[in-house]
Amino acid sequence: MQAYIVRRLLQAIPVIILDTFLAFALLLLLPGDPVETLIGASGGASLDPEQIAAYRRELGLDKPIPVQYVLWLGRALHGDLGRSTRTYRPVTDEIKARLPVTAQVGAAALLLSLTIAIPAGVTAAVWRNSVLDRIVTVVAVGGVAIPGFFLGVIFILLFAVKLRWLPPSGFVSLFEDPMRGVRFLALPVLVLGWESAALVTRQTRSGMLEVLAQDYVRTARAKGLREARVVWVHALRNALLAVVTVIGLLVGRLLAGSVVIETIFAIPGMGRLLVSAIGARDIATVQAVVLIIALSVVVANLITDLAYGVLDPRIRFR
Amino acid sequence: MNEQRSYWRRLARGRMSRRRLLTGAAAGLGTLAAYLAACGGGAKTEQGKQGSAPGAAAPPAVPAYGGRLQVAYGLEPSSLDPHIGNSGGDRFSYAPMFDTLVGIDERGTARPDLSLAERWEVVDPTTIVFRLRPGVKFHDGSPFDAETVRWNIERVKDPDLKSTARASFLNVDRVETLDPLTARFVLKEPSAAVLSDLGGRGGTMIPRGAAEKLGKEFGSKPVGTGPFQFVQWAPGSHVTVKRNPSYWRKDAAGNQLPYLDEVTVRIIPDQTVQFANLVTGEVHLAGLVAKDLPAAEGNPDLTVIKREAAGVGSVLVFNLDLSPLSNVNLRRAVVAAIDPAAINQAVHFGRWVVAEGGLWTPASWAYVPAANKPKYDPTKAKEHLRAGGAPDGFAFTLLTYSNPILQQQTEIMQGQLAKVGIKATIEQKDVGAATNAFFVERQFPLYSTSWGISGAGQEPDGICTSNYTASGFYNPMKRPISPEMEDLIKKGRQTYDPEERKKIYARINEIVFDQVFFVPLLYSSLWAGLRKPLQGGENLFGGAFTWRYDFLWLKR
Repeated sequence: MQAYIVRRLLQAIPVIILDTFLAFALLLLLPGDPVETLIGASGGASLDPEQIAAYRRELGLDKPIPVQYVLWLGRALHGDLGRSTRTYRPVTDEIKARLPVTAQVGAAALLLSLTIAIPAGVTAAVWRNSVLDRIVTVVAVGGVAIPGFFLGVIFILLFAVKLRWLPPSGFVSLFEDPMRGVRFLALPVLVLGWESAALVTRQTRSGMLEVLAQDYVRTARAKGLREARVVWVHALRNALLAVVTVIGLLVGRLLAGSVVIETIFAIPGMGRLLVSAIGARDIATVQAVVLIIALSVVVANLITDLAYGVLDPRIRFR
Repeated sequence: MNEQRSYWRRLARGRMSRRRLLTGAAAGLGTLAAYLAACGGGAKTEQGKQGSAPGAAAPPAVPAYGGRLQVAYGLEPSSLDPHIGNSGGDRFSYAPMFDTLVGIDERGTARPDLSLAERWEVVDPTTIVFRLRPGVKFHDGSPFDAETVRWNIERVKDPDLKSTARASFLNVDRVETLDPLTARFVLKEPSAAVLSDLGGRGGTMIPRGAAEKLGKEFGSKPVGTGPFQFVQWAPGSHVTVKRNPSYWRKDAAGNQLPYLDEVTVRIIPDQTVQFANLVTGEVHLAGLVAKDLPAAEGNPDLTVIKREAAGVGSVLVFNLDLSPLSNVNLRRAVVAAIDPAAINQAVHFGRWVVAEGGLWTPASWAYVPAANKPKYDPTKAKEHLRAGGAPDGFAFTLLTYSNPILQQQTEIMQGQLAKVGIKATIEQKDVGAATNAFFVERQFPLYSTSWGISGAGQEPDGICTSNYTASGFYNPMKRPISPEMEDLIKKGRQTYDPEERKKIYARINEIVFDQVFFVPLLYSSLWAGLRKPLQGGENLFGGAFTWRYDFLWLKR
């Protein structure tokens, strides 16, 4: 087991290095010069050449790109992700304020999707090809197929404007005011959770179908166990191994989804930060947010792999 | 890893049935959306008076004090330090906390009653003496005086601060303090534009003590003299300000301003969600777009305030040196082939205004319609094509920047051009990249874009300097437009009499239209929706159409 953990950790290192490089390379990929964007796109505000030169010096943009990368990486290792070119505030401060928000929304969405998706997937598998299975499939496929920005606006129009059940947008931390927090979280979590739930449902269903066809399930039935016990204990435990893998992938999807959801629901999280930073060509912030998101995905997958190893002995001895 | 791969395979296999399902689901949701959008009823609509000057009229009823105003606005401020920020939307968040040395109203006129300077006098063309309002204090208790004015101008001029207002103050040689309440501006060259510049970012007064103590932190802990003082900026969420109890201004009836206890500007990026917040009463005030107007006007709980032709929503910018549009007849053909009224109808439901003048709009004091402005005329388009030596049309690449509205406008133009045989290929770039490609790299003959409302109000000098001078950033040719132009711009700047200036700027427009250089097609309009308890909407718009909260009050 220890060898397995060490191997997985070592494998993560090149991925992380590649992440830092890609995050940094965004500077080169984004269209438009960051300093030119600061000059302003249309009439009014403008900077003169002297000020532009000062900006380039301050942002280190006057140095060769490999040097910029090494300097940036060195500072990042010390927890210094630079200052926002837009607000002049340290990027780490900004991220400290935003990360818990996204984490709350993401965790709630994940929790919601698991509580709905696993029973739904099991149901769909047990009563395969029934009306129930069809309904679950339709809802699940809808969750994957309907884009979040569309679903979000429709939910706002329906639940906030028409029915007046929930506030249309905004965010209150669950830790500050749980009652209000839930009201604000409900719609974004529903939208974000639906897509994840869809994936987990499909995965659970196919996992269950595979497992239910196996010999040990027949054996369990043959020795006279009740069907509920066979399904929910014997079969589900093995089917969930596949679901665990999906959860690792979901972390990445939830973070990506937060970009859209947080913009629509005006939630001050990482996704919003990324969108506004891209709009303002706030390179330091974009790099930092992309790096954090990439690292979160790497870590989530690492944990998934390790959990997988714990759950399934065949994996760790392979 | 096997599980993952088989998962994707299974997902891929399910594609056909999913597509069929999606069609049905999308149709259903579409109907739902249409139904929801049609919801709302009633008929009563009030409209704010067009162009009423803020602060001029007494509020219509006896205003009530107190209450917390909730505002929805789309843009996060880049900084609350008025000298440093670089986003045009910043002023909606910082302006309530500050005053400018010269106050500008929504027509771009300098108004002493809105100013920190009680009065000013142009002693000679390069000397302006400002007499400051006595007894004005910053929120931290420090006094506002002539030395503060001098220090503020020096701060903006410091290249290390990287203020976007710096360029407009390079003409200010020095500021002398004659006594604590008198500041003398000595200019290098005469400039009438300096007054409106002092009404923008650069003329916003901040206290030296707090600015030096806080350094870069000042942008997130601002201190000013304005009607409201800073409470909190939660990035991505909101900016909250509270009443400044010792504000220097009173309304026409002698009541202390402002009326409101607190204002929270909530940052809500999505326009539809802003409107949802307004309709549900989560906010009292939000900007509106043309598509939401019928619903807003039909909603008995809302009042719609409008300002027509406030900005340049659609403008064609030609590079006079790039083939094939280096031929003036072909430029005329392009303009004559494009019907702005049709674009207005299709994209803005006819709610914008077809432009009949130049880049300073009917909302500016300097506006005059231009008789020689190239107009839509498809038969003339053919004549221009013949005169230009391309009777069967020609082809070119039309640049625009990535923005849904501009994209729609430009695509309609493309179709209209095709009708007379002109084949335009649209190239879309990100706004910064497009600006660079057109004005710096000079890669495109025509740019379909919009022109923002200048931060300093409706002052033409800034636009002339940056667009029409040989060295102007927004002059893609980087050569004089006409022999007369440079002198005219200089004369316009150095003339202090507004009526004289108006004539000069009308002449400048004439030259621009003769050359077919910057041709505005549509002026954009602004709308704001107010929920009924909110009163004082006739005074909502201030200089550069920034919302002012000092005259608003909530009816109990």
